[in-house]
Amino acid sequence: MNPISGLGSFAGMNPAQMMELRSMGLQDLAGGSAISPKQLEALTSVVDSGAAPGVTGDFSNLLGQIVREVQAKQANAGAATAGLLSGQGVPLHQAVLASEEASVAFQLMVEVRNKLLEAYQELMRMQV
Amino acid sequence: MIDILPGIQTTASALQAERIRADVISQNLANALTTRGADGKLYQRQQVRFESLLVNDPQGGNPVREVQVTIIPDERPARWAPDPANPGRMIEIPDINVHEEMVDLIVSQRTYEANLAAAKAARSMAIQTLSIGKRS
Repeated sequence: MNPISGLGSFAGMNPAQMMELRSMGLQDLAGGSAISPKQLEALTSVVDSGAAPGVTGDFSNLLGQIVREVQAKQANAGAATAGLLSGQGVPLHQAVLASEEASVAFQLMVEVRNKLLEAYQELMRMQV
Repeated sequence: MIDILPGIQTTASALQAERIRADVISQNLANALTTRGADGKLYQRQQVRFESLLVNDPQGGNPVREVQVTIIPDERPARWAPDPANPGRMIEIPDINVHEEMVDLIVSQRTYEANLAAAKAARSMAIQTLSIGKRS
């Protein structure tokens, strides 16, 4: 369970359930069973450093994977465009589709990052 | 790879197929009066055959059916026409009907447009799905 994947069930949820969801997400990110200031700090480091090497945890791995995939798509789109413009026989539609795919993948990555930051800021505003 | 745009692979193959079809039609139009080709023979009208090709996703996703194009010669016999250089004599010319080729070209163009519409729809579906997560 992570904060993003719970998004679909937000509709029709009461505040208590929301809090529960939030704390589940927090536990998952920090890798512990109870919330302590130390773990909150760990969470902060995970969120701040993103996919930096050395940070363990499933979610940061996943985030890193998304970033790598988006990068691969961008490289693919760049290669297709270069192939088209340098006359290597890449068809026009392939270059356009590749760059559209890269653009949508990038938007997906930005949305994930926005959601993550939003969840983190929501947590930081929580009254303890 | 993240599969982010639904059906984009199939659409790409269809666009490619229509390009090849338009190429072949242009070739027929250009050679409508060609009596001798590079091989010394009369130009033979070409046509395309579309086949559906099952492509399996290496990562175990849904198998998709792409379009595969083969260019095949049309076996219709040549036509006899008066030779402009030698009055009273006849020469063989390819049996290419310009009107027929133009109709094929229109069909090809419209099919290309339809596939472009599918690509646009896929893109806007993805963008609209992403907008679920937006706050404002």
